Amino acid sequence: MSKRNVSRRQFLNYTLTGVGGFMAAGILMPMVRFAVDPVLKASASGGFIPTSQKVSELTAEPIRVDYTFDQIDGWYESQVTNTAWVYKADDGKIVALSPVCKHLGCTVAWNTDKEHPEQFFCPCHNGRYTKNGVNVPGTPPIKPLDVYETQEKDGILYLGLLKPHEGA
Amino acid sequence: MKWNYKEVGLYQESKEYVDSLIIPMNPISFGVQMKHFSSMHEFMGILTMEVEKQLKGRLLLMPELTYWSEGQDKADLIEIWKIKLAETDFKHVFWITSDSEWKRYEDELPGSLLWIPSIRLEHLEEGQARQMMNDQVHQMLDMLTQSWNK
Ligand code: FES
Repeated sequence: MSKRNVSRRQFLNYTLTGVGGFMAAGILMPMVRFAVDPVLKASASGGFIPTSQKVSELTAEPIRVDYTFDQIDGWYESQVTNTAWVYKADDGKIVALSPVCKHLGCTVAWNTDKEHPEQFFCPCHNGRYTKNGVNVPGTPPIKPLDVYETQEKDGILYLGLLKPHEGA
Repeated sequence: MKWNYKEVGLYQESKEYVDSLIIPMNPISFGVQMKHFSSMHEFMGILTMEVEKQLKGRLLLMPELTYWSEGQDKADLIEIWKIKLAETDFKHVFWITSDSEWKRYEDELPGSLLWIPSIRLEHLEEGQARQMMNDQVHQMLDMLTQSWNK
């Protein structure tokens, strides 16, 4: 926008539309939020969120780790509890996978399908993922599970941004 | 999937995968039961929200079906739903309620009635409430996945 001198009438106009303007801004801002890909959105204001999981207690077996944060989703602010599947990989690195199935968003669980042990299983349409989160071809999901950034602070596991799987 | 613009759109695009409909039912009243019913409504909201989160990709969660505990005929309600459901492709329809009145209508309801006794969350400590809620959610998830695998 170019700089202009504001005449008296314009000024009045601006002030009078001010209230409406604010309202419009209030309506528009959440919409911008909606447009941001949730995968790229920080779980909360960009920071890492503490879990109650001690890093030293993690093993090669994926376990469910919950974390809670305040989420502002459009109009609502609410406390949300989310889950990650966490384990220690062979190289000692911590892997934290999102449990949200990349097909249509159901919650996957570890080792719940007797015919396919040691995999993540989606109860909705029998989607499957290997332990590292890669989708098994021939099952409905076409992408691997998203991965959390992780951090260790004072022996506690922190979860950060959710990112697309590197193998994707 | 939830009953909102975005997720109903997703439902319309992926109908062949969404074969289940969940209809929570809750009575209302301005009388002595007002408080009780409001608590039931809260409980039902949390329960169905959790179930939807777990099984989002295969079910559509309807907004709560609200009716007057007195003076509104359940048989009428069932009739219109029967007609409307016949126009859809849902293979599994689950009616979820804490209102025991519905047990008398179980045979007429198109689909399965899941009657779940309401927990008075307001009488419990936070941790206790969470635990009991989790148990209920798991029971419901089991019921749903079992009927899918039948
Ligand atoms: S939502 Fe997981 S397989 Fe369809």
